Amino acid sequence: MHAMPISRSTGLALVAAALAALSGCTEMQGKEAEEPAHSRVYVANESSNSVTVIDGDSFQVVGTVDARNHATHDLAVSRDGRWLFATNLASGRLSAINTKAMETVASIATGDRAHVVTLTNDNRQAWVANIGENTISVVDTTTFRILGTIGVGKGPTGLTFSRDGRFAYVSNQGDKTVEVIDTASHRVLKAIPVGTNPHFLVLGPDGRIWGTNTGGTDIYVIDPATQDKIASINVGPAPQQIAFGFKGLQGPNAYVTVAGLNRVVVLSADPSNLRILEQIDVGQRPNGISGNREGTRLFVVHEVSNDLKVVDTGSSAVLATVPVGRKPIRVVFHGN
Amino acid sequence: MRAARGGLIVGGVLAAALAVAGGPRPACAQGQPVGTAQNAVGTLVVVRTDGIEHRLQGKGSLPLFEGDVLRTEAASQALILLRPSTPVALNEKTSLKILSRWDKSVGGNGTIRILRLSRGEVWARAGSGERQLEVETPASVASARDAEIDLKVADDGQSTLTVMQGTADFATPFGQCSVRVGTASIGARGAGCTAPQPANAAAAAGWKQAVSQ
Repeated sequence: MHAMPISRSTGLALVAAALAALSGCTEMQGKEAEEPAHSRVYVANESSNSVTVIDGDSFQVVGTVDARNHATHDLAVSRDGRWLFATNLASGRLSAINTKAMETVASIATGDRAHVVTLTNDNRQAWVANIGENTISVVDTTTFRILGTIGVGKGPTGLTFSRDGRFAYVSNQGDKTVEVIDTASHRVLKAIPVGTNPHFLVLGPDGRIWGTNTGGTDIYVIDPATQDKIASINVGPAPQQIAFGFKGLQGPNAYVTVAGLNRVVVLSADPSNLRILEQIDVGQRPNGISGNREGTRLFVVHEVSNDLKVVDTGSSAVLATVPVGRKPIRVVFHGN
Repeated sequence: MRAARGGLIVGGVLAAALAVAGGPRPACAQGQPVGTAQNAVGTLVVVRTDGIEHRLQGKGSLPLFEGDVLRTEAASQALILLRPSTPVALNEKTSLKILSRWDKSVGGNGTIRILRLSRGEVWARAGSGERQLEVETPASVASARDAEIDLKVADDGQSTLTVMQGTADFATPFGQCSVRVGTASIGARGAGCTAPQPANAAAAAGWKQAVSQ
């Protein structure tokens, strides 16, 4: 079977669409909330139990949301930007945040050590990985009810969906695997060995699944076509999270926060030719990273220095440093 | 000057206290009782969030807290009363956890009581407002308001909801249905709830007679 040729302009449009999806936003029909007027960057502050809200253009803090729970860890924003969901590790709960009002309006009991949250591609459900129970809670984003629970491997810490929504991927740090879940049946189809302490998972611009082995030094790529690990590369101690963007004409590139280096390591985002292109010095113990829709700005949060740095991908320069709450873990961007 | 500064400090503390107490908060685990265990045929085991276990045998008034796990073994049943007045019966070989959801859009203090049923069978009579109840299973959720329900979960997570009074909402990750009095629906993994079918509602909860006396 031959692949259909794709023109450069079509290819760029596809990549742009993929990057928009990667910003963590998908459509959601939910309770009424108005669409925010501005680009927003949201930061989960684990030791402040809060979410810092930053204007995506001016990089000014515009508010702080009390998560009404403890140890706010991960974030997912709806495609329309109206809703933000935040996991809270210590509470085992998911906070539902109205972004226009910048207010937590619901607190949903998911499971012990609620770690990460990802919205299904249609935004009708939020899936939450509970490390303490080895489960995924399926939350209705309209009623906030728990519709069901899926048993997975030991210590689920990462979660993402395939481009077509047919598969969910769950990294299990205890089992050193990524499990593939059939979203039509909620059955686990396969467990893929990936490495030491796998953690963050994200859908890449080419439809592959990218993950970090935070307990090791490498990142890896899984191909949904074969459900196999097809590539990996060492990037340094304690790789944390991954975002994608462009450096001028170059790209798409993968940007990996490497906590042990205090750097963002820049890679080609081509799994067949993974190589390190550049390393960008950032703050102390970088963890969360997210990019804007155009792939020209990176937002990086640092667990120790308690701040967010805005990086221009074109020049690799830090444009701004924004103080946030204590121990920021995750950052997500939503742009209009 | 000192008095003025002291007044400012007191005022600040009061303002902070009012700010903290002013808005509704999510329900706190193990803070205040959310109900009582009132009767057990055989033994009801209550496991607190710190792992401490209590046992009720016969009639009693054992306080229950959010986060408690309640468990009955073979040949045991139990009756509990959730605040303010929602009776719930546990059949034998049942395990559930008491939880809640806080939702600002809900009236009162915004708390919806939730029972997470991992195995076994429960009967409940829910009211409105703070007396409404949700029962979660591994494959579904039943929401009861002004309704009497029986929900049974099999080892594979398949859940059967029978409604004795009123109407209950029943949902799985794959669909939802409204289950009316005298009918039953099944929710299984990977499927929507089945179309409600006529059921012998009285027989479905006949098991609770002994513990309800």
